[in-house]
Amino acid sequence: MRVTKGAKIATGTALLALGVAACGGGGGSSSGGGDNPRAATGTVYIRGCEPQTGFVPGNINETCGGTINDFVYSRLVKYNSDTAAPELDQAESIETTDNKVWTIKLKPGLKWTDGTPVTAKNYVDAWNYTAYSPNAQLGSFWFGDIVGFDKVNTADPDGPDGPKEAPKPETDKMEGLEVVDDLTFKVTLSAPVAVFRTKLGYSSFSALPDAFFKDPKGFAQKPVTNGPFKFVQWDHNSQIIVEANPDYPGPEKPKVKKIVYKMYKDDNAAYADLVSNNLDFTELIPPSALAGDKWKSDLGDRAIDGQQGVIQTVTFPLYDKEFGGNADFRKAVSYAIDRKTITDKIFNKGRVPINGWVSPIVEGFKDGACGDLCTYNPAKAKEYLAKAKAEGYTPPAEFPIWSNADGTHKEWIEATVNSINQAFGADAGVKFVHKDMPTFAELRDTITQHKIKGAFRTGWQMDYPHIENFLNPLYKTGASSNDGLYSNKELDKKLHEADTATDPAQANALYQEAEAMLQQDMPAIPLWSYGLQAGTSKWVTGVKVTPFGVLDPLSIAIKEA
Amino acid sequence: MGRYAIRRLLQLVPVVLGTTFIINYMVWQLPGDPFAGRCGQRPCPDSYITAMREQFGLDQPILVQYWNFLKNLLTGNFGTDFNGVSVATQLGDAWPITIRLALMAVAFEAIIGIGAGVLSGLKRGGFVDNVVTVSTLVLLSLPIFVTGYLLQWILGVQLHIIEPTVSDAATVPELIVPALVLASLNMAFTARLTRTSIVENLRADYVRTAVAKGLSNRRVVAIHLLRNSLIPVLTFLGTEVGSLMSGAIITEGIFNIHGIGGLLWRAINGQDYTIVVPVATLLVLVYLVSNLLVDLLYGVLDPRIRYE
Repeated sequence: MRVTKGAKIATGTALLALGVAACGGGGGSSSGGGDNPRAATGTVYIRGCEPQTGFVPGNINETCGGTINDFVYSRLVKYNSDTAAPELDQAESIETTDNKVWTIKLKPGLKWTDGTPVTAKNYVDAWNYTAYSPNAQLGSFWFGDIVGFDKVNTADPDGPDGPKEAPKPETDKMEGLEVVDDLTFKVTLSAPVAVFRTKLGYSSFSALPDAFFKDPKGFAQKPVTNGPFKFVQWDHNSQIIVEANPDYPGPEKPKVKKIVYKMYKDDNAAYADLVSNNLDFTELIPPSALAGDKWKSDLGDRAIDGQQGVIQTVTFPLYDKEFGGNADFRKAVSYAIDRKTITDKIFNKGRVPINGWVSPIVEGFKDGACGDLCTYNPAKAKEYLAKAKAEGYTPPAEFPIWSNADGTHKEWIEATVNSINQAFGADAGVKFVHKDMPTFAELRDTITQHKIKGAFRTGWQMDYPHIENFLNPLYKTGASSNDGLYSNKELDKKLHEADTATDPAQANALYQEAEAMLQQDMPAIPLWSYGLQAGTSKWVTGVKVTPFGVLDPLSIAIKEA
Repeated sequence: MGRYAIRRLLQLVPVVLGTTFIINYMVWQLPGDPFAGRCGQRPCPDSYITAMREQFGLDQPILVQYWNFLKNLLTGNFGTDFNGVSVATQLGDAWPITIRLALMAVAFEAIIGIGAGVLSGLKRGGFVDNVVTVSTLVLLSLPIFVTGYLLQWILGVQLHIIEPTVSDAATVPELIVPALVLASLNMAFTARLTRTSIVENLRADYVRTAVAKGLSNRRVVAIHLLRNSLIPVLTFLGTEVGSLMSGAIITEGIFNIHGIGGLLWRAINGQDYTIVVPVATLLVLVYLVSNLLVDLLYGVLDPRIRYE
């Protein structure tokens, strides 16, 4: 806990001059420059939020939990904070000749925080546990590539809404996982996957110690981990404390003793604490501070400006005759959106227009996949609209773009529909409008049930920094997040070719070809990629932000007083 | 009065049953699957949805769900929320903070509001009256979030007199500024209400009688005038306690106070009804009890009011 604030508050109340009987108090020394209060304790405070699930890496899929889990768990692979390139972490080697059978060797001498060694069995057990459907883990689908996944993870024949129940899986162990010795295990995939090595850095691929299997529920609240930091304490809705793990073997050691993951409900409150140096890091600068670049003048050299692997798109329900449009109509809409002006005016250049369907910071990114379709061109927009109508598509008089009211999407969608309407002109016979559903849950529910009437906002936050992650889950026929039900046999074929290519460079080239094919049908319109705005207090230094938009816990250090 | 209180307490039972049923029903009928939004742009695995629905009894008919809820309520077992954290612990952590904040805010409203109202009412048209009228006008026209951010920015960020946010312990000194912010709007209401009431009663017969009897000015104001003038103010403050207990979502957000308001807000956003329903139920109880207390206090203030 920090120093008491009683004396200061008493003065503040007197200032308010509202006639409250102020309690007496001696003058406390105010913390100005000079001594660094963090140096004495070695503790830094960063902005956090309450995780939705506990510390079980295979059961996490949101940032509040993901951020703090990445502090305490190490995986086979980690991503470089500067380049996003995958690097070996707990693995000594990951070898394959055909991208199908992978031999993974662990570094010797790795330890869990309870002193037990990290073994190949820990990895195999954890993966089997996560994949086994009765365990109902959120990350189960990540293991779908491994031989024998269908035997441990059975689907409910009529979905969760139907009366039937999923049959009990035949076994709880995947055939494709084999422990060779204490430090080696072999993974056999059902088909070659070129990006499997990159995927291994995702949190679902973490190991779990033997202690987990004795009491999974208790473990989730008080985990034994293997990362640079270890778990100390979790006060729900208020804070999580982790401290440096003395046994952490990585070449770069933690530079602070403790990190307090302090939970805020309001970004503005966190920002106020950051400006007054009570908080050492936040990666969420509120819109009020972004306006007019106020945050840069507030923070000076404490402001961090960067990029992260998140893109914004607008997707069309291709299954719907009325609102699906045809390819030329979707192209017309794309031509009609003035991305540059919107990112300049609405986001203060905090987002960057993109020219393809992939985030610019990932491996395999190639500029210009969209051709000139993603460049504002009102004349072409009109031309393509006329073409679309000539081909027999009659757009509805009112064409909504949907978003969720509990997010901050209203402004940019309104700007976008204005841009489209202006480019199309008053006599276009179609008027775009912005519509809201109250909550994200309701919007997603309507989208996944394929009942949405209009185009809708879609965003994609990368799971791992690779071009593949922006294509396969979104545009392959029947893929998990293919919200518009887009289907193109040629594209599927190209993606399959890329997935199964053995040479990484060739795989990337094939993915790029596949991305360029999206031009033909324009199932989703690329808009912009998210920038990253973060800030630090004056007490810390060296802070780096990962391509996932969160703090690199090894980078943060306390300034010498 | 005892019998009246008992009768009123008994009336609480059907009211609580009715409101909780409606709350349960409405909350689970809301559109959107609570588990659909939990996996971002990806659909959640079926096995996860099925397991969660089973764990929280969502696969049961509504009446069975309600019966289970009542059973748990009576045994004091609130279970866990969707995140697997005990609901009772979370309520236990958040309520004392909210209660502290609410009581402080009501105290500020009562002391400052009634004080200002009495002063301005007694000297109608005087300097104090004008000052109070103007300052209440300012407070009334400022929404709470403006006052809150303004005070936080000036006192916390610029002048460093307070910390911009409240620590987890949320001690009384730390809560003074948030409580003032929370009270600011209703403080102005209270002042104006008291003033009107005082001005009206100053011309009442019983005040003239009291003055004519030769009572001291202090006694006329404190015993005769104030007691009668406070009845409408008390009604207002009584309902205020109830609404402040429900947590001041905005103020708690600005100062990062971990109270009921924030808990409720997070739960509503995440459609986590395991928290929404018990909190709403407790709020119903708080409202009913504070209303009963106000009704009983009428009798103390005005002897003409009798309860049978």
